[in-house]
Amino acid sequence: MANITLADQLEDAIEIMIAEPDSAPPKVDLKIGELLRVAGELRLLPDPNFKAALKAELLGQTLVMPMAVFTDTHPQVPQLQRRQAPRDARLEDILPSLFKAGDGNYPVHRGNFAISAAIHAALIVLIATAGFWMARQPQLTPHATSVLLTDISTYPLPLSTDKTGGGGGGGDRDKLSESKGSLPRFAREQVTPPAIVVRNEQPKLPADPTITGSPELTAPPTSGIGNPLSAILQPPSNGTGSGGGIGSGDYGGVGSGQGPGFGLGSGGGTGGGAFRVGGGVSAPKAIYDPDPDYSEEARHAKFQGTVLLWVVVGADGRPRDIRVIRSVGMGLDQKAIEAVTQWKFEPAMLDGHPVAVQVNIEVSFHLY
Amino acid sequence: MKALENQNLGNKNKNDEQLQVEAARQDPARFAELYENNFDRVYAYIASRVRTREEAQDATADVFHHALASLPRFEWRGLPFVAWLLGIAANVLSDRWHRVARQREIVADDLDQIGIEDDIEQRAILYQLVDTLPADQRHVIVRRFVGQKSLREIATELERSEGAIKQLQLRALQNLRDRIKL
Repeated sequence: MANITLADQLEDAIEIMIAEPDSAPPKVDLKIGELLRVAGELRLLPDPNFKAALKAELLGQTLVMPMAVFTDTHPQVPQLQRRQAPRDARLEDILPSLFKAGDGNYPVHRGNFAISAAIHAALIVLIATAGFWMARQPQLTPHATSVLLTDISTYPLPLSTDKTGGGGGGGDRDKLSESKGSLPRFAREQVTPPAIVVRNEQPKLPADPTITGSPELTAPPTSGIGNPLSAILQPPSNGTGSGGGIGSGDYGGVGSGQGPGFGLGSGGGTGGGAFRVGGGVSAPKAIYDPDPDYSEEARHAKFQGTVLLWVVVGADGRPRDIRVIRSVGMGLDQKAIEAVTQWKFEPAMLDGHPVAVQVNIEVSFHLY
Repeated sequence: MKALENQNLGNKNKNDEQLQVEAARQDPARFAELYENNFDRVYAYIASRVRTREEAQDATADVFHHALASLPRFEWRGLPFVAWLLGIAANVLSDRWHRVARQREIVADDLDQIGIEDDIEQRAILYQLVDTLPADQRHVIVRRFVGQKSLREIATELERSEGAIKQLQLRALQNLRDRIKL
């Protein structure tokens, strides 16, 4: 009976100890106290299954899962569940067959050898015949080349010696349009812009009025200086433009253009539009000329051809006003335009000044 | 005379341990002997410093994995092999605490100062004594403390009364107390 009481007291104390391991041990009599200390030491008694499983794992006999506790359902089966992979897991544990840990323990299947041999044979035949196949089916690689035709002296569009493009205009913001007259002399460099109504009659450095252009260009003299295209005879006026000169344009020329030349164009010279190469106007040089892509349509059709483009290269060296002069179709025209749009040039020069010029660019598409 | 016998016994154990270490270096499969001889001490050392069984098992596994990997670098310094294992255990625990609470890490030089404390030795012996209990008592102790089962659950497993299991628990603890006193 005394033992039953002792066992009950002990069990009650153990129950508390297990349920609340951090609490102070319950007050019990000396006999129970000694047993409770032993029980306290057993609180973290190692699980026999853990010991066996860890040993098996260490010896490479058991490979298993994440660490934690042991299952109660099969205590006889050591299963170590690890929370993290062992830091020093060996290669033979990971790939036992490769690192010979299981060498000789695997059954041999002849079928596997046959399959392996067949695959290897097929690969060897494929590699050996690949060269023949490639030789019979040559892949045509599309290429495109571009040529700035004004750099080629033998091209049917030779450099001009007697005609340039360009133009200019001027005026002094008069209310009246410019009056009719003959053009002043062409010179490579303009010192004094022409004027019908001279505002400063005693300049400190007198110079002949000129407009910019090839000196070989001449216009038949009629009367005094003026715009030969004007219909107004009187009263004399420099025109409604600005920047000196005659006309409705700007920058010291004659006419409605921009610059010190004559006509509708810009940058000097005469004839309207941009300069042409020649007559003192140098050719622009392409400094960035990426090749165009081949169009998919032309690639599939194995089509080749040459596109001829007309381009104005501005004084800033950038192409503009690109037009197709000779088309080949199949999307190659557009590809040529896309490429030339990206080009950059050293601009054409006239008397040391960059000017806009018109050039032809030939873009050839080849398959070879 | 007895002291001489103890010294001889100690030298013999040391020589045996040295041979076991050398054998394990040659063939890792021989690490099993070192493991069996030292598991309880390592586990007891760790169990006295952690709060849960899971932590103790986790850290113990780390110690032995690390020991197995580092065995080729082990050097005899006049201390038993278990001192080296306890040094690894101290570092493993220190790493864990450092991660959690940024506690001071034990550096390699401290390893030699780690001795086998009496309470660790006593706890290791207690764990070993559990294996020597009669089967029914051992079963009750393992299920009660490792499995954390109630006496009623154990009684159901063993198809006995709850009172009988309570008596088995009492006798088992008395047995262990008496043997550890010896």
